[in-house]
Amino acid sequence: MSNVAKRQTSTLDKVLRIALYVCLFGMAAVYLAPFLVMLLTSLKDVEEIRSGTLLSLPSSLNFDAWSKAWSGACTGSQCEGMAPYFFNSFQIVIPAVAISTLLGALNGYVISHWKFKGSDVFFAALLVGCFIPFQVILLPMARTLGWLGIANTTTGLVMVHVVYGVAFTTLFFRNFYQSIPVELVKAARLDGAGFFTIFYRIILPVSTPIIVVTVIWQFTQIWNDFLFGVAFSGFDTQPVTVALNNLVNTSFGGKEYNVDMAAAIIAALPTLVVYILAGKYFVRGLTAGAVKG
Amino acid sequence: MASLTIDNVKKRYGQTEILKGINISIEAGEFLILVGPSGCGKSTLMNSIAGLEDVSEGRILIGDNDVTYASPKDRDIAMVFQSYALYPNMTVAENISFGLEMRKVPKEEREAEVERVAEMLQIGHLLKRKPAQLSGGQRQRVAMGRALARRPKMYLFDEPLSNLDAKLRVEMRTEIKKLHQKLGTTIVYVTHDQIEAMTLADRIAVMKDGEVQQLGTPQEIYDNPTNLFVAGFMGSPAMNFIPAKVVEQNGSYALELQAATPTVVPFPKPDSLKAHVGKEILLGLRPEMITEPQPHKEGKEFVVTADIDVEVTEPMGADTMVLTRIQSAEVNCRCNPAYPARAGEAIAMMFDTSKAVAFDKDNGQRIDN
Repeated sequence: MSNVAKRQTSTLDKVLRIALYVCLFGMAAVYLAPFLVMLLTSLKDVEEIRSGTLLSLPSSLNFDAWSKAWSGACTGSQCEGMAPYFFNSFQIVIPAVAISTLLGALNGYVISHWKFKGSDVFFAALLVGCFIPFQVILLPMARTLGWLGIANTTTGLVMVHVVYGVAFTTLFFRNFYQSIPVELVKAARLDGAGFFTIFYRIILPVSTPIIVVTVIWQFTQIWNDFLFGVAFSGFDTQPVTVALNNLVNTSFGGKEYNVDMAAAIIAALPTLVVYILAGKYFVRGLTAGAVKG
Repeated sequence: MASLTIDNVKKRYGQTEILKGINISIEAGEFLILVGPSGCGKSTLMNSIAGLEDVSEGRILIGDNDVTYASPKDRDIAMVFQSYALYPNMTVAENISFGLEMRKVPKEEREAEVERVAEMLQIGHLLKRKPAQLSGGQRQRVAMGRALARRPKMYLFDEPLSNLDAKLRVEMRTEIKKLHQKLGTTIVYVTHDQIEAMTLADRIAVMKDGEVQQLGTPQEIYDNPTNLFVAGFMGSPAMNFIPAKVVEQNGSYALELQAATPTVVPFPKPDSLKAHVGKEILLGLRPEMITEPQPHKEGKEFVVTADIDVEVTEPMGADTMVLTRIQSAEVNCRCNPAYPARAGEAIAMMFDTSKAVAFDKDNGQRIDN
């Protein structure tokens, strides 16, 4: 009678489906567990940490550890908490992200739309920059910064991050601009627009997705950087990652795990916020250059 | 308005020569069409005229100015691209006025100009939209509007209609022709569509492999192609190339074709065949010159009636194309739809060779010029 094909769901299919979800939730739990432990621990007092288990809930909400981590904990000989270093990090990250993104955009624009003799070689050489390990450039960079007179300064750290980041930002923008038709630039040239006018009026306005991607990428990279921070910062220009390390390693008497955890979350917060706010652009923009559409 | 002179222009990429010495010159106000198959160099030539690509050798003159090394913006030309290349972040009005803005035209004048162009192209209601919100045909109009707004010395059109559907293409073709008649500006237009070339051009340059095969008016190109390539490229369906043997007949020369039975047809310039007596050449005959027997043509000088074997018939409404085969060559005949040609049967056809041309079989060149 009825020749409507029914979807066949066997018992095996159902079992497999359930197994899949169990697996997914299990993995999610594994990934979230450390953060949950950090959060729970940061809300307990020291006594409770000692007596309870890792995952036991705090008996009362106690934000003392947070305020101490923010403004009172000792990082080495100073006891001002994370706050000053938190702002140090912003002073490094904001200019470094802005400059490296802008340079990357300009480079990408030139490489994809104003090809010159050897521009492909130039691009290939720039790509090598993505693969240079941090450790390799520590000593030469220290010499360079000293020679430029900006060792141990915020300016010096910004420069290091810009130099290191330009390879990545250029790659991002170049891939994105490859998908912008060359006719657009040709039309603008015939209309009488010059190099920078075309960049500013035609190219930049359509670059939002890739700008978001680059900003997230650079922000995360530079904010999370420890090695350059510890190597090239001065006493009062240390970024938050270095301060966190100092805070955890400085202890008078018993170890205050709640303060350590609170400090760690504070240090991680900005990158989390950036990713939550702009995350959907991130995935969209990362694939934008990959598939022409 | 300005004339255009392209003087021995060559373009090389490394070892490969894309343009092999192009010579074209047109008067101010002429509509020049560059036509040819893909890869023939027509777009490269167009870009060279625009200044978007440097030439390796030769000169380009717009009016009396040598612009060979001038930058695109100083050549005072506007271009319409195949992909339209509208600025995606700007509205239609901003797109149209961008070129004026770059040339520091005051705001009021810009607005007036946008209005004038919008009215001319009937896109007034679209001025506030972004290109993404327009249909293909509307984008095409805006792209033309952007070119028109600057009132340049010369317009370049790079396959502007090839992204439109068939009906719209015909409409826009007519509109471009009207526009040219109204503005009277010099236009260089690239296409690979030979119907566009025939309908629009004052002069056509047929290109192949980086060389101009022939430069002439559409009618010259149609009636008097210099070689097999030009003859085969222009016209739809294409010219028939019928293998024919040159025979001597009553002290003159004629051609013998293998229709249903061997048939001898006269040729307008018999003396040009003299050197080829006994050899096989290709007779170029347009489909409309092979028809059903027409009484008013009966007995005229270059008219011969012969039977052919019908292979396929293709009714097109106004005419019916009757396909036959003469030796190995497919031959199209354009007949009245009422003529009872049926596949598999033999039927009489009238061969009118008054406009026939002859080609050398080996090198494809005309032999009756």
